[in-house]
Amino acid sequence: MHELGILVEVVKTVEDFARKNNLEKIDTLVLQIGELSEIVPQYIKECYPAAVDGTMLDGTNLRVDILPGNGICQKCNKVFNIIEGKGKCTHCKSRKFEVISGHEFMIKEVIAC
Amino acid sequence: MDSFKVFEIKKSVYENNDAQASLLRTKLKEDKVFLLNLMSSPGSGKTTTLVKTIEALKDEFSIGIIEADIDSDVDATTISKTGVKVIQLHTGGMCHLNADMTRQGLEEIETDGLDFVVLENVGNLICPAEFDTGAAKNAMILSVPEGDDKPLKYPGIFRAVDVLIINKIDAAEYFDFDLEAATQRAKKLNPNIKVFPISAKTGEGVEAWADWLREEIKIWNK
Repeated sequence: MHELGILVEVVKTVEDFARKNNLEKIDTLVLQIGELSEIVPQYIKECYPAAVDGTMLDGTNLRVDILPGNGICQKCNKVFNIIEGKGKCTHCKSRKFEVISGHEFMIKEVIAC
Repeated sequence: MDSFKVFEIKKSVYENNDAQASLLRTKLKEDKVFLLNLMSSPGSGKTTTLVKTIEALKDEFSIGIIEADIDSDVDATTISKTGVKVIQLHTGGMCHLNADMTRQGLEEIETDGLDFVVLENVGNLICPAEFDTGAAKNAMILSVPEGDDKPLKYPGIFRAVDVLIINKIDAAEYFDFDLEAATQRAKKLNPNIKVFPISAKTGEGVEAWADWLREEIKIWNK
């Protein structure tokens, strides 16, 4: 359960961004979490109210977009979803691939004025 | 009526911390202070290993220890008996140390005149692996009773460290721990990882670990 600690970092970054861009009111924060990252989106959502308590983000909405865990097969050169293929290329069943996305944890944007 | 717009941030969550960590590392390099970030599960023998490490190196280097725990000062009390400088940080529930907390700890311990500082991170195999503290090198301890399957279960930390210390090897016969399998699993995740099997209790293997550390401290502080 490390999501709360990480969210505290997120809140600091967003507050910093808001100050620099003179944002007055934030409505929604949008995060992107990769399917292969060690962050659990459900826990992020549950921790959010506690992490933003007393900050500029208090009372704001949170949206989490999930980014696919994709790999490129080194045998057939096709892109496939690693989770769907359970670690094997969904086209040729090869286990040799390179991860191209899915480890991200990004602050995408805020909806604000 | 407020008109809401989308403001793109597009920033990795770890970016701030990574930037602070690299600033801290540059400063430590200038000040000739070698910072080791030591991570492990609770009960792996971190403090006992530290005591043995201090005994091996205290005649050559001026050492400082930063203990981080959610609460209590039992570890700091044990370490202070070795005579080195030690402070206790309380993370207040946080499961890891970030670069900023590390910087505060270094300010508190006053690194002037110290060559070698160990940051004893919170006992946890997940979160500390994701936050760069600004340390020169990262090490972790895996102890025999935890099992040789830990690299499979917590790959993140094995990828993040320079050194894997396998502790409590004197107890290997009581546990189904395959040293070779654990080493291979760690090397598969991290081909450059250095592995030191030790027993902090009997002192076995501690010399090889201390030798590695001595060389790294000398290179860093040159």
